[in-house]
Amino acid sequence: MFPVAQVGGLAVQVPGLILLAGIWLGIYLSERSLQASKRSQSLNVGDLVFVSLLAGLGGARLGYLIRFPAAFAQSPISVISLNPDLLDPLIGLFTAAIAAVIYGQRKGLLLFPTLDALTPLFAVFTVSWHLSQLASGAGYGLPSDLPWAISLLGANRHPTQIYDALAALAILVFIWRKPRRRLPGETFLIFVSLAAGARLFLDAFDAAAPVLANGWRISQAAAWLILISSFLVLRRFRFQGE
Amino acid sequence: MNLSAKHRFDMLALAALVLGAAWIAITAPAPQELDAARAEPAQGFLAPDFTLGTLSGETLSLADQRGKAVLVNFWASWCAPCRAEMPAMQRVYEKYRDQGFIILAINLANQDGRAGAQAFVDEFGLTFPILLDVDGQVSAAYRLRSLPSSYFIDRNGVIQEVVLGGPMAEALILTRVEQLLGASQ
Repeated sequence: MFPVAQVGGLAVQVPGLILLAGIWLGIYLSERSLQASKRSQSLNVGDLVFVSLLAGLGGARLGYLIRFPAAFAQSPISVISLNPDLLDPLIGLFTAAIAAVIYGQRKGLLLFPTLDALTPLFAVFTVSWHLSQLASGAGYGLPSDLPWAISLLGANRHPTQIYDALAALAILVFIWRKPRRRLPGETFLIFVSLAAGARLFLDAFDAAAPVLANGWRISQAAAWLILISSFLVLRRFRFQGE
Repeated sequence: MNLSAKHRFDMLALAALVLGAAWIAITAPAPQELDAARAEPAQGFLAPDFTLGTLSGETLSLADQRGKAVLVNFWASWCAPCRAEMPAMQRVYEKYRDQGFIILAINLANQDGRAGAQAFVDEFGLTFPILLDVDGQVSAAYRLRSLPSSYFIDRNGVIQEVVLGGPMAEALILTRVEQLLGASQ
């Protein structure tokens, strides 16, 4: 675990720094991929991400404020606090998605080619997400006697964050390689399928994942449902005429 | 048998889904695998116990606070974010102390000195217990990496949230304390 780095008198949150680096690298790779494919240049990945992030952060703060109005009534200055713990992640994701859709409509972007263009960003962000979990100690693994187990939280454990990061990196390399001609949306759907498959397999080693009443991990069940959906859509894409 | 691409896709997808469902069922954890009954300074684990002397000359232990919602906060008088968040902590303490909430503010006495800690407490008019980690053992047990560091602990002694760095916004402290107090009702 390496959650904080002391830089002089500043305590820098390492997980946040890793995520920011992931977003930056993801934007760079997405734009490179866009240029290489010589597709329409009306999509500016950086602008889209900026608009979505801004809307997402604002929505996340607003969502938290709506959930706990009394706390903010008592301390109005907290509305502009830099504390990331005062953000509602689900509401933030929702508003970010809405903002992205509105931006896309205004720029006349088509959904599936845009998702394809953003797939490198999603893939890189997934890698950085798991590395940030390694830094914070979140998503820790089940106890293990394997030679590559890491000492974490009082036990030798599966290095699940490393498993996840390596799987995400492998998916990124697979997505990035020059493919046979793909239909619009196919790259994105392949990424979703592979990511869901990785989640379904690797979360078996996760000690921190919440479970359903029958003991099944929620993340694995969700990944399985996402896998079904992506297979169905991919099937429809590939075999439309049949 | 010469299968079309569509049939091959269907068979592979079906195989993946069936194997996936079987994997989920096979790897469902037994309750003891997820048992976080050990003490670790991390969310979801029991908070490591400690017994420390206070500025007022008493002795307090974390284990004696079982049944209360607890905020364990590590601080030092030279730490600017610690200074910034203490007034908010005091206000929240005054609001909820009668509902079973307590703050255990652990001063890094091995770095700060008793006089520095006392001056700080007098400056901010703090009324919650100020504990002195004279030899740094509690800081080591909590793997302290930054100041301030705060641990929100529920009535069962389980850490529900860790906040590294600061200052914590008052709304954050309020919402977390309300969740701790409300969770066991």
